[in-house]
Amino acid sequence: MERIAEWLHEKNPGLDGPIAHDEDLIEARLIDSMDFLEFIDLLEELSGSSIDLQEVTIDDFRTLGRVQERFLSAAG
Amino acid sequence: MSTRSTTALPDGGLKSPGAGLITLDPVRTALLRGLDELLTGLAARLSAPEVVGPPLLSVEGLTRLDFFRNFPHLGVSAGHFAPDALDGLAGGEAPGELPLRPTGYLLPSATCYGLLLSLEGRDVGEEGLRLSAAGRCFRNETHYDGLRRLWGFHMREVLYLGTKQGSVEHLERGAEFILEAAALLGLELTRSVADDPFYDKGGSRARLMALDPVKHEFCAPDGTAIASVNRHRNFFGERLDIRAGSEGPAYSACVAFGIERWIHAMILAHGTPEQALDRLRAARV
Repeated sequence: MERIAEWLHEKNPGLDGPIAHDEDLIEARLIDSMDFLEFIDLLEELSGSSIDLQEVTIDDFRTLGRVQERFLSAAG
Repeated sequence: MSTRSTTALPDGGLKSPGAGLITLDPVRTALLRGLDELLTGLAARLSAPEVVGPPLLSVEGLTRLDFFRNFPHLGVSAGHFAPDALDGLAGGEAPGELPLRPTGYLLPSATCYGLLLSLEGRDVGEEGLRLSAAGRCFRNETHYDGLRRLWGFHMREVLYLGTKQGSVEHLERGAEFILEAAALLGLELTRSVADDPFYDKGGSRARLMALDPVKHEFCAPDGTAIASVNRHRNFFGERLDIRAGSEGPAYSACVAFGIERWIHAMILAHGTPEQALDRLRAARV
């Protein structure tokens, strides 16, 4: 999860402090739509498996908590 | 010998200057004015004051809104002839062969861009701000189709800037109004998820939009989208430093009506332009 937090801070240099696990990354545009595929690439790299965008919903990416549960729990 | 009335159009009607360009005849013009007036009812309902947006938008401003990254194909440029071409033009040379120089400005492709750019650096407060405007919008298209797809058309918008929750409510009330107006006019509309005409259909923005639609359209029975509700999240607020008081970058949303498409839908529903106008006049009483 550290890499994800780092990535979010890198993309949002104005962001102060840690990002809460239940913060809405999509509505607050911490994941900007232009960077969405880069975020998917990062998740694929971290989880070691590919993500089929036909088989996910936006809520799978909405919060750090959900991202952890949905994509990274197997990888730890 | 009969005298032609000065109000009757000559045989053959009004000529079109080219593909995607239509001169509206008196009945269609009455429909345009009447429909715009009726649809402005949304602005009245939401207490959105009427403004007139700028006739041209700066390329620099549009660049900051990612316009060219998203829609490089749509922009209709305002150009002027190069100074060294002017003597030739004045001497009768064909204008089509002479180079145009960019001015740094584009004709608007949507009404809200000009309003948003006019609010750069402003604070709309936590109560937010609504504005209503109509303007002619221009989009390069690969094909044109009567009043359904024009090179230039009238777009009325009611824009909201403020809080996240305020944006949601704005669109709920907008959607409610669209359906009420349609019922009043005898139009059957279907709501569906829509896609902006992104140039890069497989790109990041288009892919995210497919997962989390930020645009819904209201379509006539032949599939013509005549109105839409659009949420921008806090994109414009961030890019243009528009704040909503202590809430930070403003969230924004807009309700948009393509007026010529409403004319099309009215004629489709009621048979002829005259019958459509009768129906509109009855709806306004």
